[in-house]
Amino acid sequence: MTATDSLDCLFQVMADPYRRSFVERLCKGPASVKELAGTADVQLPAVLKHLNILETGGIVVSQKVGRVRTYRMRQDAFTILSDWIDIRQQDMNAAFDRLAELMAEVPEEKDH
Amino acid sequence: MGVLVDHRSFVIERELPGSPAHAFRFWSDHQLKRRWNACHPDWRVVEDRFDFRVDGQESLVWQMPDGTRQTMLAHFLEIHPRQRIVYAYTMRTDGVPISSSLVTVEFNGGGGKTMMTFTEQAVFGSGAYGDIREQGTGVGFTRLQEAVAELLEEPRQTMTPGGRG
Repeated sequence: MTATDSLDCLFQVMADPYRRSFVERLCKGPASVKELAGTADVQLPAVLKHLNILETGGIVVSQKVGRVRTYRMRQDAFTILSDWIDIRQQDMNAAFDRLAELMAEVPEEKDH
Repeated sequence: MGVLVDHRSFVIERELPGSPAHAFRFWSDHQLKRRWNACHPDWRVVEDRFDFRVDGQESLVWQMPDGTRQTMLAHFLEIHPRQRIVYAYTMRTDGVPISSSLVTVEFNGGGGKTMMTFTEQAVFGSGAYGDIREQGTGVGFTRLQEAVAELLEEPRQTMTPGGRG
């Protein structure tokens, strides 16, 4: 998946006002389904549907303890933009190619 | 919470021609370092400083063709000649922090060659989304919402010329 694909996916997931409001809430800290449903004016099945989309979309994760399912933000939710670190790694490799060439060209100093 | 900050590490190992002393020169000499490092043909160098000593700094500022200013600012933490260099550096785009890293460069010699190990441990925080971490719903999130809204509004207007129902 390219960075652009991931970004498209993220935008699609975030294109719904309910999902955005859940994310806003979860940015403040973990919350149970009940707490999340309490802030939305939709029925529980719809809440669960949106939370499921957020989870599938890699934005949130959930955990069930006893009868309570709690959602929280994923650590890497919005970090797809960091894909450019991969680009930096490629840049460094290219730089080291130049370094190796240059070291072969320039003679060693004798004083050590 | 670190929700919108990403930590990434990568290691590059390279066999280089020449002794560790030779390799070290290309990291410690300003002119030699610039001959292989930081190659951006279409960026104009605005500032270039290199003070290679413990607690010395290296700074490079570029102006990109579209006017954007890129800054690399490094601080040398440890220098062990011919063995190891440890430095911290940060990248900024128009003054906005993009990433900060700790880099360790190790040189191991043998048979007239040098095995160089470059380890970068980076913390990446997006300028657009970084605010969220502290404020819950910050400026960054508003920007994301605006971007999403813009994306959605265009096709909707073409589909229903009458506007919003």
